[in-house]
Amino acid sequence: MKGILKKISQINFGLMSPENIRKMSVTKIVTPDTYDEDGYPIEAGLMDPRLGVIDPGLRCRSCGSKGGDCQGHFGHINLARPVIHVGFADTIHKVLRSTCKDCGHVLLTEAEMADYREKIGNQIKNEESITAIIKDVYTVARRDKCPHCAEEQEDVKIDKPVSIVEGNYKLTASEVRERLEAIPEDEYIFVGINHEVAKPEWMVLTVLPVPPVTVRPSITLETGERSEDDLTHKLVDILRINQRLKENMEAGAPQLIVEDLWELLQYHVTTYFDNEASGVPPARHRSGRPLKTLAQRLKGKEGRFRSNLSGKRVNFSARTVISPDPNISINEVGVPEMIATEVTVPVFVTEWNIEAMKKFIMNGPNVHPGANYVIRPDERKIRVYDETKETVIEKLEPGFVVERHLMDGDVVLFNRQPSLHRMSMMAHEVKVLPYKTFRLNLCVCPPYNADFDGDEMNMHVFQTEESRAEAKSLMRVQEHILSPRFGGPIIGGIHDHISGAYLLTREGSVFSEEDVFQMVKHARMALPNATGKDWTGKQVFSLLLPKDLNMVYKAEICRKCDECLKQECKNDAYVVIDNGQIITGAMDEKAYGAFSGKILDSIVKEYGTDKAREFLDSSTKLAISGIMKRGFTTSTADEEIPREAKDRIEQLLANAEAKVEQLIEAYHNEELEALPGRSLRETLEMKIMQVLGEARDKSGEIAESYFGMENHAVIMALTGARGSMLNLTQIAACVGQQSVRGGRIERGYSQRTLPHFQVGELGAKASGFVHSSYKKGLDPLEFFFHAMGGREGLVDTAIRTAQSGYMQRRLVNALQDLNVQPDGTVRDNRGVIVQTEYGEDGIDPAKSDYGKVADIDRMIDEMRIKSKIGK
Amino acid sequence: MVENAWKLVDAFFDEYKLVDHHIKSYNDFVNHRIQDIIDITEPIVLEQGEYTIKTGNVEIRKPFIKEADGSNSKIFPTEARLRNLTYSAHMYLEMALTKKGDEEQDMEKVYIGELPVMLKSNICHLNGLTEDEIEDVGEDPQDPGGYFIVNGSERAIVTMEEIAPNKIILERIGEKEDRRARAIVTSIKSGFRARITLEYRKPRKKGVFLRISFPYVPGEIPLVVLLRALGFETDQDLVTSVSDENDIQFLLIDDIQTSEIMTQYDAIKYIGNRVAKGMTEEYRIKRAEDVIDKYLLPHIGVEPERRAEKATYLAEMTEMLLQVVFEKREPHDKDHYANKRLRVSGDLMEDLFRVAFTSLTRDMTYQLERSLARGKEPSVKQAVRSDVLTENIKHAIATGNWVGGRAGVSQLLDRTSYMGTLSHLKRVVSPLSRSQPHFEARDLHPTQFGKICPNETPEGPNCGLVKNLAILSKISEGSDPEELEAVIKKMGTINPVKSL
Repeated sequence: MKGILKKISQINFGLMSPENIRKMSVTKIVTPDTYDEDGYPIEAGLMDPRLGVIDPGLRCRSCGSKGGDCQGHFGHINLARPVIHVGFADTIHKVLRSTCKDCGHVLLTEAEMADYREKIGNQIKNEESITAIIKDVYTVARRDKCPHCAEEQEDVKIDKPVSIVEGNYKLTASEVRERLEAIPEDEYIFVGINHEVAKPEWMVLTVLPVPPVTVRPSITLETGERSEDDLTHKLVDILRINQRLKENMEAGAPQLIVEDLWELLQYHVTTYFDNEASGVPPARHRSGRPLKTLAQRLKGKEGRFRSNLSGKRVNFSARTVISPDPNISINEVGVPEMIATEVTVPVFVTEWNIEAMKKFIMNGPNVHPGANYVIRPDERKIRVYDETKETVIEKLEPGFVVERHLMDGDVVLFNRQPSLHRMSMMAHEVKVLPYKTFRLNLCVCPPYNADFDGDEMNMHVFQTEESRAEAKSLMRVQEHILSPRFGGPIIGGIHDHISGAYLLTREGSVFSEEDVFQMVKHARMALPNATGKDWTGKQVFSLLLPKDLNMVYKAEICRKCDECLKQECKNDAYVVIDNGQIITGAMDEKAYGAFSGKILDSIVKEYGTDKAREFLDSSTKLAISGIMKRGFTTSTADEEIPREAKDRIEQLLANAEAKVEQLIEAYHNEELEALPGRSLRETLEMKIMQVLGEARDKSGEIAESYFGMENHAVIMALTGARGSMLNLTQIAACVGQQSVRGGRIERGYSQRTLPHFQVGELGAKASGFVHSSYKKGLDPLEFFFHAMGGREGLVDTAIRTAQSGYMQRRLVNALQDLNVQPDGTVRDNRGVIVQTEYGEDGIDPAKSDYGKVADIDRMIDEMRIKSKIGK
Repeated sequence: MVENAWKLVDAFFDEYKLVDHHIKSYNDFVNHRIQDIIDITEPIVLEQGEYTIKTGNVEIRKPFIKEADGSNSKIFPTEARLRNLTYSAHMYLEMALTKKGDEEQDMEKVYIGELPVMLKSNICHLNGLTEDEIEDVGEDPQDPGGYFIVNGSERAIVTMEEIAPNKIILERIGEKEDRRARAIVTSIKSGFRARITLEYRKPRKKGVFLRISFPYVPGEIPLVVLLRALGFETDQDLVTSVSDENDIQFLLIDDIQTSEIMTQYDAIKYIGNRVAKGMTEEYRIKRAEDVIDKYLLPHIGVEPERRAEKATYLAEMTEMLLQVVFEKREPHDKDHYANKRLRVSGDLMEDLFRVAFTSLTRDMTYQLERSLARGKEPSVKQAVRSDVLTENIKHAIATGNWVGGRAGVSQLLDRTSYMGTLSHLKRVVSPLSRSQPHFEARDLHPTQFGKICPNETPEGPNCGLVKNLAILSKISEGSDPEELEAVIKKMGTINPVKSL
């Protein structure tokens, strides 16, 4: 690609004067035809060769460059009569309303003018917006009488889209232009026009610029027929009418005909700019399809800005289904061989790597560590074929670039949409693997929000050393273990990693040395010295911890007892780590889980991201081998409770329902006392909700009391691996009140939810209280209420994703230019300070301790433990 | 208990098939409604009554095709699917062209076009076959039918949900305290939908509180003026007919005093000024009366004699509306299934056929006029271009673009699984746009119990708007109002309208 290098020093926004348009133009366009019978473009036609070339090989008549290199040149059409530009119709209307119909002065008194001139001057000096002042001028300058020449003013109205009506008379475009011309130049500023770049009369077109052919290329169909671009069609229409108007005017046709043609010309020019302007029927193609004219090319989601400039399609990228691989590091991504042989990395050939490069070329494009292209120093790209590879190798010398296949260790960018935060795009190291899916470590699922139910992800290969280096230091997965969202890890153990670590490290779990060595080997850790004795799980897990780590924290399984027994905790929830040895406490979600892993958090902060990656890779593998030693399965049998428990729950729910009945009776007898700020009915609802909520919780507690720590479902819920106690109690004891939009279910038939109930019935059952448990099964009415509650959830998720996506877009557009300067201030692209200190506290949340600078209490605790045990 | 329940389910399916709603509705369309549409269509009149064309009975023959060699052969659905043909029946209509003054001609049977046939309907070859026979003609005996085959592709017409027509729907605008309300009736008379909106709101500067809008009248007009035009001459008549309650009556009196129209003639003139501005007075009056008769509540009737009934209806509607304003009555729940109606394949085919048939008659008129202009003797047979009707109907079913600009009415039948097919044939779609939240409309409403499946709805933007009929649900069809009226009268009720 060759091009002329020019540096943009500034961009001016203004209007084009007719002279400007003519000066820029290379030819006047008069003929509405495009090609003659032989297929040659007609001179002074819309495809005039001076407007540029599209066919490769031909040379441009204006600039002499070849097709593809010439960006095209503008032409122009002299309009027989002036025409209003749709885009400025509103402005024209406002300007006319604010100026005198006779003398052209802005309808402001001398005093007002001086005042506004000063105000506007100040704003401009301060680089601030003058729109508010201009708006003010527009309202003040709506006078009935001109303060300069005392002429009576008539009301100027706009009849969408382009007709300007004064009183009852419709102004012609020429009259509009004359009036705009009459405005004195030094008063432009009051109506918001910068006299240096624009004159108001330029808003009425006398000359129409014709875009180069490169902007509106014609395509040749298979049949050999030429099909023109929509813009060309529209320009043909304009030219035709323009020609007829000119002829009629010259022939002295009656005013009526001229006016009709003028109107038609106005219509064509209007639709040429915007074919969706309100009030004009859209111009259509012969087939009935509305034409895509200038505004339509730019506007909206499929327009130039959003679809071609903000978002572009890229090369060297791949997309496929993802699947899990617990054996690769969090930093890695498994890339299918098929993709690895397609996307390439450019390598600069030097004396030192020429032999390696020759080997790649020798492998050809189809054998894995091969090469697809070779680029010569003269920028010619040569495709490597099995047949030609020998000749390519012969010619290869330093200075060439070889596009070799993706190989193990290459850095690539990995992404899953929606890319909501920076962890949605991270740099991974490639690991070429068989089969057809991308493989990723389970720990990186949370930041990508990925699962494996058919999710697909994208991969991009870096093409320059600079980008590769930048990505490797800033975007690697291990650099993102801590989330800038809350200052804790977002990458960490999930699901079985957590249950596994708990099973391994809980009190009383002991393994034979043989088992320990097996697990350690499986986790690819260094083998410890043999002791000849059995190992506790805590000892095994301690092998992973840095030798000088000291920590104290309460684990996820902590039951939040009223008085903490600390080290003597019978739930094994008080974790003490002394110099890298777990003294008490079991490992669970709080240890190294995503979102709340304290040990992981402190390893990243104290020992760096490399150590953290090693810890995460090994600990998850160790946990998995631990869980495999024990075996782990769950079924509804886990939620089985004895008959006596069922009876107790039944009793409890019966009591609660009776209590609800009492409340209702009290309500009917008007004995119920209203809560402050609530009506009687609202009070009743609240009280019922409260009673039923309590009943569900209590019944849950009963069920819970029969569950022990041997129960796998309970292990998952309490360690934070998956599910919650609420899920279990709903299965075992009672599902509870179903709600729609925060309240009990009220809608339905008149004064009752379903015809199965009495009119006016308010009881628990009639308003969606599900008394049964999932395990016992719901009766039809309960099932229906449950479906109602469930539907609300479905609708919410569907609506929320759409709404939050739009909000994200607006926020990103508003904040994208803000950045933190070296002096710690946050500024926008003009250098205006938005915050004097980032976040007003100067803290990088990713490096903070859950949002705070440091957790002093925790630090004191740790030091205390250290000294106590030291004694 | 449970065992017996299952017997009931079996008994239900012995009588009703899974897609009975489609088949019954289509049968009704074929047996009655086609003939009704043809009868109701105005006869073709040429050259100021010089020629008239009368139509008689329609005959629909079971599906057959004309082969390239000119022979006719009976066609079964399988063949249509395999050869990319349309499984359609040929329609013949008796027509007679009479010249003014001449004696009546005999009816002549003319082929007017093809009608796609719903599988397993009365005019389908599969109707009445035993399982073995169905297998012999290459069909799956388990196939439910209820869809069409157009150009070899299977097309199901999905059921459309709509707010109940010919029924007053009261709704509150804004909060209770705003004291604004609206009453809407969508009145339907043979395919023509007239939406009448009566609104109670504070006028911006001066004017009346109660304003009504209906088709062909631009903007809104005061309710009291319309009631006057319909025949409530005296203020007392007008006020008492609306309500016996004082506060409501006072409101009306306010409105009567604000509007300065006092006689029926003035009221009609007022409406005439709206509908035909700038015309002669005579024409304005005629036009106003015309609009009132034809476009105001057409379901009550389009004859001038029905004006009293319409007035009573409007008065009743006004009282209901004002009761909502005064919080004496609850506004309607738009999502209540009693306020919804389902338009099944037969109803939708009716819309389609009506438009297609009108375009056929229009084309016939054009053809006849052309041949007359050339001085040829007009002939009905030559005037009918059967392709007009055939293509109109076929195109709509093949693309799903129905009359009235609705898209996606017919869809390619889902054959990913047997259950998918059944679900597709029981699908019900709501006309509400999926881009707006419409939280209430998406909720599972208790009145859907037993009618709509509580579980099956898509996830995502269509959630709760696309529904499926419950397996054991059955759609009842509309019945003749006169029959019902007769039954009620037999029970000894009095007619309140007559007392007017």
